[in-house]
Amino acid sequence: MAEVTLYHWEPNANSGKPMLALMEKGVPFDSHYIDMLNFDQHRPEYLAINPQGTIPAMTHGDKVLVESTAIMEYVNEAFDGPDLMPTDARDRWRVRWWMKFMDQWLAPSFSMIGWSVFIGPVVRQRDPAELEAAIERIPMPERRVSWRKAIYGTFSEAEIAESQRRVALGIGMLEAELGKREWLASDSYSLADINGFNLAYAIPLSQPHLSNDELTPNLLRWLRAIYARKAVKDCWALGRTDMVKRVTILEQERI
Amino acid sequence: MATILYHGEPNGPSLAVLAAMAETGADTALGIECRAIDLLKGERHTIPDLVEPLARDMGVEGEGPVLVVEGEALTESVFLAQFFDEVGDGASLQPSDPYAHWEMMMWCRQITERLSPAAALLGNLASSHRHLDALSDDAFAAQVEPIASADLKVRWDLVRDGEADDAQLEDCEAKVMQALERCESKLGDGREWLMGPLTIADFETFAWLVGMEPIVPGAFQGKPATRQWMARVRARPSVVAALARATRGEPERAWAPGPEINRWG
Repeated sequence: MAEVTLYHWEPNANSGKPMLALMEKGVPFDSHYIDMLNFDQHRPEYLAINPQGTIPAMTHGDKVLVESTAIMEYVNEAFDGPDLMPTDARDRWRVRWWMKFMDQWLAPSFSMIGWSVFIGPVVRQRDPAELEAAIERIPMPERRVSWRKAIYGTFSEAEIAESQRRVALGIGMLEAELGKREWLASDSYSLADINGFNLAYAIPLSQPHLSNDELTPNLLRWLRAIYARKAVKDCWALGRTDMVKRVTILEQERI
Repeated sequence: MATILYHGEPNGPSLAVLAAMAETGADTALGIECRAIDLLKGERHTIPDLVEPLARDMGVEGEGPVLVVEGEALTESVFLAQFFDEVGDGASLQPSDPYAHWEMMMWCRQITERLSPAAALLGNLASSHRHLDALSDDAFAAQVEPIASADLKVRWDLVRDGEADDAQLEDCEAKVMQALERCESKLGDGREWLMGPLTIADFETFAWLVGMEPIVPGAFQGKPATRQWMARVRARPSVVAALARATRGEPERAWAPGPEINRWG
């Protein structure tokens, strides 16, 4: 049994970040799949690991760690393997800035659109009483509010429009930044790239009018370069749903 | 090219960063020149010689300090403190043990994601709203015109309008209360600093809490360990030096639009 166990959903967004960081570092781990859309993360077995009921979570020996970006930073510091943080202090600042910007500003907008267009309608086909019971099991009150919004799709048109504005602006910012250097935050592959790929890998598929080889050549170059890495292939192979198949768009020579 | 720290009155993120700078010795190591600006007059948006104004404004923190290094605008108080820590030659403010480091970063995230949006809203309603409301429409429009981020502009509009519903205010006060309860619980074992050793978490937490004392005084009642800890932080030479940079009385009442309230509820 490995010393590390990762509790994760699909290799996508928050779950994908520590999965890929562990694989890039070459750290063996027990993969424990949590079916988020079946609300496995709010069941007693999982709450015994992470009482907040959020995924991912990681155990390392007797230590329990939560929050995807913070877990990635821990993984980089605690284990041997390639250093996923640059050595220059300003480059390190830039890695952290981009991760916070993506985690707190850009990703919530992607996920609002994703839930309203794709995931919410599917989840709403389930038995309403079962859904309500699942929401009531969520331990943190503010997460209940968020899940209720996600499941019932109660976003206003203005909220969705604001998310779309942010997605378009964020794609433009990524493109501009990747025009300056090979990787997002420094001249070496870092946690910012792992974080960014998990957020952005499906952009050419979901936002074709905003991201393609003509409009965002640097973004596409960067996504393809990350997709070519062995760790990404190994990581995405752990996916169980069609969601992760979106990544194969990056195999196209011209998008 | 000079490295310049543009900071507001020593409160919130400006206080945290000024204290971390002095504590780590980064001011000497980098030869940093400090320039006080009036954040509420929008002076952050007329900083000269920035390569990318957009980068200055897209930080989640809002109107916090800006460190200009070779034309690049570095923002976000926790990350600036880490930057200072990693270039400075003073005592380290980050644990070297990976798990202790994770705990410190998680603590700081709780502060910046939960406490600081709430504290900024309460602080701005209490002190900044009057000032912005007194500006003519034209003067206000001219002040926010150089802001490159549309959603940061919206936060300025909200402060000027000064409208918040009761539920939102109650939620903000609850978040201040929760932060204090977390401090009291953490300090309950008699430790001197929040993480054990002195870290960035002490300065970040103190800086966002100190301005809540006059606004939510009840939240501080029955928190003896937290009050003693705040007195210890306030007595640090780095904090004394930061507070001495105030250009007005009661700098803890100086606010400018901060992080937005989570759009997901």
